[in-house]
Amino acid sequence: MKTPFRLDEHPRRPQPPLAPPAADFFDKLPLRVMQRVRPAADADAAPAWGWLAALSAPLRTALASVVVLLTFVGSFWLASRPGSQPAVRPLSAAQALAAVPRAEAVQYLLSDAAPRLTLADLADTHVAERDLTADFLPGTDADIQAALDEQPSLDVYL
Amino acid sequence: MEDQDILLKFRDPASRNLAFNQLVRKYQSKVYWHVRKMVVDHDDADDLTQEVFIKVWKHLENFRQDASLYTWIYRIATNECLNLLASKRRKFFLPLNDVGAELTQKLEADEQLAGDEVELKLQKAILRLPDKQRLVFNLRYYDEMPYEQMAEVTGTSVGALKASYHHAVKKIEQYVNEASD
Repeated sequence: MKTPFRLDEHPRRPQPPLAPPAADFFDKLPLRVMQRVRPAADADAAPAWGWLAALSAPLRTALASVVVLLTFVGSFWLASRPGSQPAVRPLSAAQALAAVPRAEAVQYLLSDAAPRLTLADLADTHVAERDLTADFLPGTDADIQAALDEQPSLDVYL
Repeated sequence: MEDQDILLKFRDPASRNLAFNQLVRKYQSKVYWHVRKMVVDHDDADDLTQEVFIKVWKHLENFRQDASLYTWIYRIATNECLNLLASKRRKFFLPLNDVGAELTQKLEADEQLAGDEVELKLQKAILRLPDKQRLVFNLRYYDEMPYEQMAEVTGTSVGALKASYHHAVKKIEQYVNEASD
C-alpha cells in the first residue's frame, strides 16, 4: 500500500528546484538597475524648469503665448492701480517763485539776462491766479473803495 | 552595510547612488527568488526584480521605517508579483486556474525538475493554489518567515495567514496524493 504524501515528511528545499539564473546575473543586475534609475536621478538634479523641455512643441508655444498675455495684463493692471505712479503736483506760480532763493532772484533781476518788460508783455500776461494782485496793491479793499468814491462821477462817466 | 547606514547615505545626494547600489546588492537575490517563485519564468522574474528596485529608488526617501527595510522591499515585490499575475489574467481574459496552467507549463520545461516525479507534482500542486495563498505558502514554507513578518508583508492578520497556510498544505497533499493514484 502506498504511503500518503505528507508535506512535513518531504525533504524541504530552500527554494523550488527551478533553473538558477546565469552565473553573472547577480553581478550585472545592480548595474542594470542603476542604468534605469539614473535618468530619474538626473531629472531630480535638473533645474526646476526641466519640465518645460518635456512638454511638446505646441504646448510650449501655447504656454509662451499665455505668459506674454499675462505679462501685458499684469503691467496694465499695475499701471492702472491708484497710487502706483508718484503724483506730480503742478506748482502754482507763487509757490514756484517762493522756491527760488531770494539772493538768486535779486541777482537775476540785476543781471542783463533778465528781459526788459514792455507794456506789450504785460498785455499778453495771463494771470491765472487772480488774488495775486492782492500781494502787490498796498491798499485794502476799503481804501480802494474810498479812492473810487473820491473820484468825481463826471470823470468816470465821461 | 547595515540598513540604517544605507538609508543614511541614501539621504545624502553625494552618496545616494553608492548607497542604492549597496541596497540592490544586499537584497537582489532574495527579491529575485521571491518573485521567481511566484512567476516561475526567469525573464518575468528579471523584469519584476528591476521594477521592484526602481520603485524602491522612487519611494525610499519617504520610507518611514514603520517596518524594517527588508519587509518593506518584500511588500513591494509581493505587490508587483500580484499585479503582474492579475494583469496577465486581464490581458488574456484568463480564469484563475489558467495562469496556474501557464506556470505549470513553464515549470515542466525547467530542466531542474526532470526525473523527480514527486517534486514535480509538489510544484504543480503549489502552482494550482490561488495567487495570494501561494504567496503565503512560499513565504512560510520556503522563506520560513515568521507569521508576524508575513502579516506586515501581506497586510493580513496572523490568524488568517495561519489558516491560509494550513489550507494550502491540505490542498497540496490532496493534489499530490490524487496525482499519484
